[in-house]
Amino acid sequence: MNAIMGHMRGTVRRGPDGADVPPALVLAGISKTFGDFAALSDVDFDLRPGEIHALLGENGAGKSTLMNIVAGIYTPDSGRVAIKGQPVAIRGPSDAQQLGVGMVHQHYKLVKPFTALENILLAHPGGSFRAARSRLEALTKDALDRIGFDVDLNRTVETLSISEQQRVEILKVLVAGATIVILDEPTAVLTDDEAVRLFKAIRSLAMEGHSIVLVTHKLSEALNYADRITVMRGGKVVRTVLPTEVTEAELTELIVGSAISERSHRAGKAGKPVLKLRAVERSDSRGGKLRNLTFDVRAGEIYGIAGVGGNGQNALVEVITGLSRVDAGNMWLDAHGDVTNQPSDRMRRSGIACIPSDRHSDAIAGELRIADNYAISGVIEGRYGSVARVDRRGIAADTQDAIRRFEVMGVRGPYQKAGLLSGGNAQKLVIAREFSGKPSLIIAHSPSRGLDVRASAAVHEHLRAARDRGAGVILISEDLDEVLVLADRIGVMNRGTIVAEFEAPADRQMIGRAMVGHG
Amino acid sequence: MDFVVNWLANVPGFAVPFALAALGLIICEKAGVLNLGAEGYMLVGAMAGAGVMLSLDVHPLAALAVSALAAGLLSLLFALLVIALRVNQVISGLVIVFFAQGLTALIATSQGWTNRAFSGLQDLNFGVLSSLPGVGRIVFQQDLMVYLTIVIFAVVVHVLRATHVGMRLRAVGENPEAADAAGVPVGWYRTGAVVVGCMLIGLAGGYLSVAVSKIWVDGMSGGRGWIAIALVIFARWQPWPALAGAVLFGCIEALIPRMAAIGLQLPQYFVLMLPYVVTLAVMVWTSLSANRRSGQPAALGQPFVREERR
Amino acid sequence: MAETTISTAAARRSFFGRFNLEVRGHMPMGQQMLVVAAGIMLGLLISAMLLVVSGVKPSGLVNEFVVAIFTSRRNVAAVLSYAAPLTVVGLAAALAFKARFWNIGLEGQVILGAIGATLVANHDFGPPALRLVIMALAAMAAGILWIGLPLFLKIKLQVNEIISTLLMNYIAFNLLLHLLYGPWKDPQSAFPNSKLFDDVERLMPIGWQNLNLALPIAVLLVLMAAWLLGMSRYGFLLNFVHANARMARALGIRIVGLTLLFALASGALAGFGGFIISTGIESRLTQSFFVGYGFSGILIAFLARNNPFAVAFFAILVAVLMVAGQSLQVFYQIPFAMVQLIQAIIVICVAASEFFIHYRLRMVE
Repeated sequence: MNAIMGHMRGTVRRGPDGADVPPALVLAGISKTFGDFAALSDVDFDLRPGEIHALLGENGAGKSTLMNIVAGIYTPDSGRVAIKGQPVAIRGPSDAQQLGVGMVHQHYKLVKPFTALENILLAHPGGSFRAARSRLEALTKDALDRIGFDVDLNRTVETLSISEQQRVEILKVLVAGATIVILDEPTAVLTDDEAVRLFKAIRSLAMEGHSIVLVTHKLSEALNYADRITVMRGGKVVRTVLPTEVTEAELTELIVGSAISERSHRAGKAGKPVLKLRAVERSDSRGGKLRNLTFDVRAGEIYGIAGVGGNGQNALVEVITGLSRVDAGNMWLDAHGDVTNQPSDRMRRSGIACIPSDRHSDAIAGELRIADNYAISGVIEGRYGSVARVDRRGIAADTQDAIRRFEVMGVRGPYQKAGLLSGGNAQKLVIAREFSGKPSLIIAHSPSRGLDVRASAAVHEHLRAARDRGAGVILISEDLDEVLVLADRIGVMNRGTIVAEFEAPADRQMIGRAMVGHG
Repeated sequence: MDFVVNWLANVPGFAVPFALAALGLIICEKAGVLNLGAEGYMLVGAMAGAGVMLSLDVHPLAALAVSALAAGLLSLLFALLVIALRVNQVISGLVIVFFAQGLTALIATSQGWTNRAFSGLQDLNFGVLSSLPGVGRIVFQQDLMVYLTIVIFAVVVHVLRATHVGMRLRAVGENPEAADAAGVPVGWYRTGAVVVGCMLIGLAGGYLSVAVSKIWVDGMSGGRGWIAIALVIFARWQPWPALAGAVLFGCIEALIPRMAAIGLQLPQYFVLMLPYVVTLAVMVWTSLSANRRSGQPAALGQPFVREERR
Repeated sequence: MAETTISTAAARRSFFGRFNLEVRGHMPMGQQMLVVAAGIMLGLLISAMLLVVSGVKPSGLVNEFVVAIFTSRRNVAAVLSYAAPLTVVGLAAALAFKARFWNIGLEGQVILGAIGATLVANHDFGPPALRLVIMALAAMAAGILWIGLPLFLKIKLQVNEIISTLLMNYIAFNLLLHLLYGPWKDPQSAFPNSKLFDDVERLMPIGWQNLNLALPIAVLLVLMAAWLLGMSRYGFLLNFVHANARMARALGIRIVGLTLLFALASGALAGFGGFIISTGIESRLTQSFFVGYGFSGILIAFLARNNPFAVAFFAILVAVLMVAGQSLQVFYQIPFAMVQLIQAIIVICVAASEFFIHYRLRMVE
């Protein structure tokens, strides 16, 4: 205990008037495990008043878990927390709020049918309903002006854009009187312009004396906008540095550990088109609309589709895999001719494989065995035994083989539940299954989302291998870096259609402009 | 004319159980708890009310209060299952119905309450008003609960729409993670909603025995709890439309005995099917109408676990 | 943090504040069975206490539930003769639940099955040698008819099947009363019964006690259901529909077709259950022949987690309860409703115990 308090005191700074200014937040020796998985082990962290402190690391490094502990979402197994020099116990979100901690989560915690103001009101009861309402409205408007935000408080959240919803979240935190503001991957869903505006607002908050934690996996954000950077890897703090004293390369190595450099783009030998879409229209708003969508994917190429999420990517996946019908237009598959509006089992049999973006809800049945999850597509296509009897022995043998070939780790046997696999290994299992039918067209939607660098490199390698084997690959990703490193050709998707196409190597700026353009 | 007055004068009495049960269900479901146990709470309420009337010399309103309390007590078991232990809400609701069926039959039989008539809640008399032709019988010759039901509706509507408690309750049913992050104790709000909602459902059941039939018979709620569930879907989880639906079903139920009275010779048991057939029809109509999902609390039926991780 | 009740306000004060609720990744099958067994034992213990409170001496409990049942051939036979239709109805529930179709209308389908069989018997339809087969087919068709409407409404209009199948129960019951008090009433009986079935319209005895063909048929159906769910391609695909419907859809599994197949099979089985009860136990249609079967079927399928062999096991357990309940009724004047209550208590305890399969409570400092 003494050691811990000593550590806390060690970070006390002298204020301008000579008085002690305690750090806004100190975390000492924080550990947290989920089941057998150690998410955090013995983490120390400190946040100074009025600074923007970037918490940088790969997905799964423990950044969000650490900040969720500060926000009262998780309780640590051990460790101490001090706010403004006072040791505190945060037992829940309301404790955190009382202590002046506010967190904007990566997934917004907003009640959709409520208005923006009602969402703010929800977190700040007190006094009569009407009085609280008007008091908060005034407070919120004041905050809006101070940081230059613009949100209609009386619209329901479900009608607001993503960036407006984020502003509501930030307002909620500010109205609560938070002095410590935690932003978890705030730019993940924003366009570049929106991100710049956000950072401007964040800086003005810091100038007002707020202390800000910026949780991010983007190097450039940390380097450009933070006062200090703490790097985390594997549930531990690696180092805290100043952005002025490190290079991007050094920072990368801190994040990744032994540096893994992915082979950058290597052109495949493109053949004739395996898939042609012509003037495809879909007006069903579920999953986004498609309008006049036309493009080709050739054998032996990776066709990258870049774009901000929600511009019709989900609809595109559903149309190509036969899960939803088109209103107009046509779709041709090489060797199968016109396949417009064919059912999904027929599309699969025609050689289409899909790696969906949300693997846990769309690609893995966690309660079922690894072997069943591997073999299901084969069983659907009529392999593995007959209608009367599924060939379980054949399935087990093939699964063993696939586990080995695709290096699915953490498997004790093919009869283990698939839900026990980690994200990266679950994705490898999905890829193993989807590749098992020797597909001629693979559609991969954000295939490395949520994976660490090693796992995403492996996923990318598998996609390249499929291309080199002669398959056509469609890579849909919101991560422009992923598209740039993998794709042979890039189409930019904006509001339901391809607005521009680029041959690799493509210019990042031009793609970015096409992504957010209105032309 | 007489037929119409007789018929309409009976409507409120038949409508009240549907109305109160639907309102209780709305409270539970607005908080995100799918409550399929309505039939069970109605039975418990009905039996408790009848038991009090038969064994104690108290005012019928006291018996109704006991109905509500008894159902509230049983709902604690349900709350324990679905909120604390996160058991599947469908199974929990069903098993509560089975439990209540067994429990009420057991207690009523062993206490000798079954099939014994008693004098229950009587109609009020407003003097001149009550003797107005037509209107007097329909509007001013009802029991106290008929009028109280409207008051209860007004109170619940106000609480849900324009108070902190109501807003937090709705937030818990729409997005418990958001409510939790905003510092709302999700579990307690859900428990409160379940208990209060089930007390209203128990009151509905108590009304059946204490005010309508003035007797206890095993299984006497006769599917009204299930019809109330359908009513809530029909009303898109809004109280006033639910009240309107309850009046509609009150009209149908009040019509059944009238039809025999005026000598309309329809096969008795086919007439008795009517409420269930109409309920099915209403469900079909509801699902055919546009945006059928609107109004359903987004987290309905989903247990809340904060430390879920994947 | 008060993870047990989610509340933070309570956490500061309460005992729960000392515990963390965690989602358990996996519990080995053996441990899971132990937890469920503990739940059953707890349910039985509570039930036993309830019976003692109701005036049954503890020695009487042992007598009625253990000694009387397992030492008398007649009682063993009685248990098995109840277990057969319970198994069939339990399988019906399991097939539908596995397809994520909440068929709560088993009771209505049982009633319709019996009505279908009785219709054939009343009109002496078909040659006597085939009469039973025709009755069985009519019963299954009637069960399919009765699940067909809610199934259609579910698939075409997304009408909630829990409520629609339940409403169909009440409609079926009123139809039954109509027939028994009206056109089908046996003039020779003071009660609302149909006339007794002819000998060719009753299930043949198998030559041990009063047991009839219902028992071997139930065993056969268990095996068939086990094959369908555990070995066939349909069962394999259905596992995915059950475990993750979104994924099943994304993979192109024909969910509607599978749901249709299994739900219709469920209705047919429930109708067949009505046939077994009316031809094997009652030998006529009565106004209460079905009581308890539909409801027990649902609970049995839940306890058995839709596993056919476990369905048979729990059907026997419930049958023991029913037989013991009858003698408690005679000797201790315990209402038969106690049997229903005990089943509900056991299910509640098992459901509650499953909490410990999915979650782990951990002490924090």
